[in-house]
Amino acid sequence: MAIANVKVEGLQKSFWDESRGEVRAVDGIDFDCQPGEVFGLLGANGAGKTTTLRMLATILKPTGGSASLNGYDVLADPEAVRRSLGFYSASTALYPRLTGRETLEFFARINGYPANQVAQRVEELIDRFGIREYAGARVGKLSSGMKQKISIARTIVHDPPILIFDEPTVGLDVMAALEMQNVVHELRDEGKAIIFSTHIMSEAEKLCDRIGIIHQGRILALGTLEEHRQATGKHYLEDVFVHEVMQAEDQSAKAKASSGEPGTSL
Amino acid sequence: MNWSDIWVLYRRELRSAFRDRTIVMNGILVPVFMYPIMMWVMMTGLVFVLGQMDRESSRLVILDPPPEHSVLLDTLGAQTNLEIQEDVVSEDSAMVLLRAGDLDALVEFLPPTDENSALEDNFQVLIRYDRAVNRSSQASTRVESAIADYRSEWLTQQAAALGIPETDREQFRIVQDNVSTEEDIGTLLMGFMIPMFLVIMIAMGCLMPAIDSTAGERERSTWETLMTVSASRLSVVTAKYFYVATLGILAGVLNVVAMFASMGVIMGPLLMDLGESANAFQFSLPLLALPVMIVAAIALALFFAAAMMILAAFARTFKDGQAMVGPVFLLAMMPILMGEQTDQTLTPLTAAIPVANAAMMIRDAINGVFLWPLIAETLAVLLAMVTACLLIARVLLKTEDFILLSPDGRFSKFSKIFKSSSRSRLGRNSSEGLK
Repeated sequence: MAIANVKVEGLQKSFWDESRGEVRAVDGIDFDCQPGEVFGLLGANGAGKTTTLRMLATILKPTGGSASLNGYDVLADPEAVRRSLGFYSASTALYPRLTGRETLEFFARINGYPANQVAQRVEELIDRFGIREYAGARVGKLSSGMKQKISIARTIVHDPPILIFDEPTVGLDVMAALEMQNVVHELRDEGKAIIFSTHIMSEAEKLCDRIGIIHQGRILALGTLEEHRQATGKHYLEDVFVHEVMQAEDQSAKAKASSGEPGTSL
Repeated sequence: MNWSDIWVLYRRELRSAFRDRTIVMNGILVPVFMYPIMMWVMMTGLVFVLGQMDRESSRLVILDPPPEHSVLLDTLGAQTNLEIQEDVVSEDSAMVLLRAGDLDALVEFLPPTDENSALEDNFQVLIRYDRAVNRSSQASTRVESAIADYRSEWLTQQAAALGIPETDREQFRIVQDNVSTEEDIGTLLMGFMIPMFLVIMIAMGCLMPAIDSTAGERERSTWETLMTVSASRLSVVTAKYFYVATLGILAGVLNVVAMFASMGVIMGPLLMDLGESANAFQFSLPLLALPVMIVAAIALALFFAAAMMILAAFARTFKDGQAMVGPVFLLAMMPILMGEQTDQTLTPLTAAIPVANAAMMIRDAINGVFLWPLIAETLAVLLAMVTACLLIARVLLKTEDFILLSPDGRFSKFSKIFKSSSRSRLGRNSSEGLK
């Protein structure tokens, strides 16, 4: 088995809330992701997907457990982690006053891509994503589809071994979403380790080699689609997901009833 | 901290800034064109207003003019800027007109205060006017001047008739001699204007970039993108800080250059329109003044950049940023008024007041006064303020609530940030903070 590019063990994130006290947004999750694999994090809104991915991207600091990317610990060496990583989400926008080409040059340089190869790399990506026609135009004046292409190119411009896509198809039309899925496939075939979070079942079914179902900060089940089907007896991922979540809710309710605690949720 | 990363980030900030209309307007165009335009408007306006006032006649009522002094009445009547209204004959009706603004001055001739006066036909004059009305004040001045001239001539004639020599009559004479040179007057004007506008321009130069590089990043959703680049948080903030300070310094330097250009080219000719001689003013600076001004400008820019960035970083949108930094901008302007007291130089106390100290240091330099220990104190105070701001920024950068601007990261909960920062240290190595 190849060495995992992403290794997450017992990762936790607790927040302090004035009214609720300590809130565990991520409650000890474990998973890994190999080179050439798309690992899907499937969960409803508020399940803890984005918090997990933000910890992997070193935007947030774990309060427990560990995570390493490309062999670098997120707490001990966050800059090396970020250099090994391309992070794409709906909330990572582009600088509107830079052109597409300037954007790619900037992100290549700031992420440590060899300075003498930046120009060549940028032109290569401009061709790959078919953005030459508007590469010299300011990003702020481009359509959302054009921006999306530049944004993906920006994510991979420094050729990182690990890519994180946090709900990348949110707000995209069908064609743009399909294009995004094709890019993810291509990147996987190039040997990238990809973590892909989504709440769209069909997308996870289609793209992910392995899927972790996350609910209330915990991974309820983890495996290939076939393994999930066998474990639950359900064919469709949507049914698998509902089955796992309902089961977790039941167990949680029983545990609280036996300990005499009132029902609480995150 | 990686200087190569800082350079890449700094260049990116500048490139974006010079493509932003608001920043270019506030950081370059206003400092360059404000002085010439402002001076032209101000001086042209002054010339226009004074011209208007000069052309406006003063409406007078004269009561009980002494027949022995008919020449005075003729003199007043001959003055084109005085309009004597002869149809009003009582004090009461004249006062009604004066209060209503239909009359500018009431001139009453009264008997002399000393009835045993040696001079026959002596008199006193009571001028009633409304000080709250410019036109009325001007009427009073005109009448007083005309009567004083007549009185002086009349007294000279009376003294001659009594055989009293002029020197005995006057006893003493007041003679004024202005010893200031044209350069002194020019320096006075520059000392009044440069510190004020330099401080304002530097603050204005920092204002928009400070908001744009913090709140603007959050509003455009580029903040999170920036947080995922491999450069350290400290490098990101350092680059932004240098960028904001650079634009502040740029605005200040451009402003000084524009000011010198406009003072000679625009202000000189306009002052001549006001009746000043062509060489009444000379605008020149002591050689040492320029480096002192540049150092003061740099220190001020560093201070404004740090203070404004910290506040603007709490804002989620550009508009919020303006609302947060705007009042502080105005507050920062207040100490400049101290610098405008032209008879004050830096003292150990005033050198301890941020912004005011820099304004006074600049004014002293323009006047050729270089109090080196106090200049050192001024710079030390400003740099101490900058250091304090950077220490606050360092704490904020380690705080996730601030980085992501969660509800606990807002300015209103500023103190709680530090508490939550300590509470969030629940896991391993968390005291190291976000790098």
